[in-house]
Amino acid sequence: MQRVINRLRALILGGLLLALPAMAPAKNVKPDPNGLPPQDVKDLHYGDVLFYFYQDDYFDAITRLLAARQLDRLPHTQGEAELLLGGLYLSLGEHVEAGRIFEALLNQNTSEAVRNKAWFYLGKVWYQRGYLDESERALKQVSDKINPRISAERYMLLAQLMMREERYDDAIGALSSWHGAPDWTAYAQFNLGIALVRKERLADAIPYLDRVGRIETRSEELLSLKDKANLALGFALLQAQRAAEAKPILQRVRLEGPYSSKALLGVGWADAGAGDFKRALVPWLELRKRNLLDSAVQESFLTVPYAYSQLSASGQAADYYSSAIESFDAEMKRIDDSIEEIRRGHLLDRLLDDDKKDTLTWYWQLTTLPNAPESRYLYQLLASNEFQEGLKNYRELNFMSRNLDAWRDDVSAYDDMLDTRQVAYNRLLPKVDAVLAATDLDALTRKRVDFESRINEIEASNDVAALGTADEQRTWRRLKRIEDYIAAHPDDPDLTEMRDKHHLMKGVMYWRLSASFKARLWNERRSVKELEADLKETQRRTVLVRQARAAMPTNTGAYGGRVAAIRARIDQLHRRLSDVSQQQNRYLQALAIRELEGQKVRILTYQIQARYELAAIYDRAANDKPKAKP
Amino acid sequence: MNFKHRVVSIIARAALLAYAGAALAAPQAPAAAAASAAAAAAPAPAPAAVPAIAPPADAPGAPPGDFKTLDQEVQGLKKDVIDLNKDLFVLQEELLFPANTQVALYVSMDVGAFFALNSVTIKIDNKVVTNYLYTAREADALLKGGVQQVYLGNLKVGKHELVAFFTGKGPIERDYKRGATISFEKGVGAKYLELKITDHVAKHQPEFSIKDWE
Repeated sequence: MQRVINRLRALILGGLLLALPAMAPAKNVKPDPNGLPPQDVKDLHYGDVLFYFYQDDYFDAITRLLAARQLDRLPHTQGEAELLLGGLYLSLGEHVEAGRIFEALLNQNTSEAVRNKAWFYLGKVWYQRGYLDESERALKQVSDKINPRISAERYMLLAQLMMREERYDDAIGALSSWHGAPDWTAYAQFNLGIALVRKERLADAIPYLDRVGRIETRSEELLSLKDKANLALGFALLQAQRAAEAKPILQRVRLEGPYSSKALLGVGWADAGAGDFKRALVPWLELRKRNLLDSAVQESFLTVPYAYSQLSASGQAADYYSSAIESFDAEMKRIDDSIEEIRRGHLLDRLLDDDKKDTLTWYWQLTTLPNAPESRYLYQLLASNEFQEGLKNYRELNFMSRNLDAWRDDVSAYDDMLDTRQVAYNRLLPKVDAVLAATDLDALTRKRVDFESRINEIEASNDVAALGTADEQRTWRRLKRIEDYIAAHPDDPDLTEMRDKHHLMKGVMYWRLSASFKARLWNERRSVKELEADLKETQRRTVLVRQARAAMPTNTGAYGGRVAAIRARIDQLHRRLSDVSQQQNRYLQALAIRELEGQKVRILTYQIQARYELAAIYDRAANDKPKAKP
Repeated sequence: MNFKHRVVSIIARAALLAYAGAALAAPQAPAAAAASAAAAAAPAPAPAAVPAIAPPADAPGAPPGDFKTLDQEVQGLKKDVIDLNKDLFVLQEELLFPANTQVALYVSMDVGAFFALNSVTIKIDNKVVTNYLYTAREADALLKGGVQQVYLGNLKVGKHELVAFFTGKGPIERDYKRGATISFEKGVGAKYLELKITDHVAKHQPEFSIKDWE
């Protein structure tokens, strides 16, 4: 890949900031080598962080990034690294820390594109986590100069946020003035219609919901939205006592879709609203055959006998009410069993049983429920941000607990290693001390200086014989002795021939020594230099050995202290993790139980109504009988 | 209010609220955006349930409490664990690979049009120190600009020789094996060497080199 700075930056900010839809195409793009010069790595350690980041291993990436930052290993990539750090925090669900970094960074000289993306994804994560004020503040920092798709989603998030806070007027204002990508228009119109209905402005809402309810599409998502729009509009009309208008709209809901049960219920009510109970029975009886888990089906257990009752078929009405009471009884028993099962505390571990445990990402979501009795009641709960985010927290706490377990083993090994080092040090110490004591660096230095001085003297006095070989020096000394003898007998005529021979031999010897003197001098000087270098290296090593000797106990002690401190931190964090994990477990368990209790209360209410109506039928029957036989 | 009106009123109002509420929980992205990893990972939205007619009861003895409070506690805790991991990482490196003996080898890849990396074998002073086989995911991370620390070890101060052998698929999908070598001096500070794989566009061949980071 040609590492062009801009592209890298885009990957960094896009990739993580975060698992971004818009950036997804940037992944796996085959690099195009044409025309782009190779880009050198600026900081090896930053590249190392990216290596883990590009594998979606955000936990390793952030650990390495923080370590590199602490060790000043990112001299050329500080800015990018800080932005990446914010993104990594966000990826790991650490939105508070990510927000702190972004707020510090994004007001400076960051490009508008980067700023927009960072604020957008921060706002999105905050929205999912229910930090609505923070989310709104972040989303409002995003300018309109952004990818249209992200811009559309941003407006939608803002509108949904306002609706969650029941600020329908604000939502209506935001959605009415929005003109975005066509594929988002349906969502905007739907939400606008809902906001208007909530403000009891049905007449204004109808055109928007009706338009969404008529869209032509083959997209499953839009078909689902279309069903929801028809359903919402149909029920809004029913509530406004406009049954005749509601029916055709409810009939637009697909029979095989997820909203068909509710639509069947509504169609029945539309017929009932028009007084046609016989016709109302058609969808309601169809509905009654479906799974009792569906609230619309539960309601049909009441509406069917109600319709029979209205048609004066009291016997059938009584039968259906009795059957409803029995079914509700059985269903409540199943819910009670499920609540008990959840109270035993294994819900979350069972939910996460098939989870791939080695990754942490902000967009993780549980997609399948375990095959357990309580699962059938939890689909609704699972769709909620609150439960999903809580479950994500629980999962992350488990991941971190395992992470600390692994480190705990390593830290024990460090202790052993430090002990071993100490033993080795104690064993080596006498030898080291002996070598250091025998090494007289000052004497060696003095010898070198003397040697160099001697060479200088030889050169200055041109003492060619001083650099001769041992044989040459021996010969030179013999010649010197002969010379002295001849000099002592200057008048001896027998020495005349010897004098001539000596003169000749000394001349030859001197010539030989002179001829090699310069080369020998150069060699000697080189030896002096080598000796000097060796001496310096010896001095350096001696200093290192002395330093190591002195530092070893301190180092070992310091490391020992650090290891002990870090072990204490591990233990303390482990306790906190366990405690918070239990709190999270209890919290999610309580959410699940609350969901089930809610379902139970609703069924109980239906059951009371069924009993009441059954009693009323019996009363009427009892009152009618005396009149029948006067 | 008679039974009929009561039931109609309750059900219609409750359903309306539920359906409006469901809209908020609706998929927030249209189909085109559904390609996003997040959207793809999201479960299909569950059908809207009619809310309870009576207020739901909290589980006895275990009130749900405040999500935000708990979430903030989790945030703080996670931050502490991340910081601890950083400190452990630094301690581990200082303890096992002190700077005066540390040598770290990195692999980087630029372009990669002429070479698909399968494995790398590294020898220091004629001794194999690592033999690394790449997964597709790792090779992809290198292509995107990641730099892999392929070896972290200790070396004595002085002269050393490193030889790296790269194997993979070269141009026209042919098996390809090439080497690169460097003599380097290990001083008292940490030594970093980068094994670089680049494309030689003119020759239509990959190039392998080793950079000594001073």
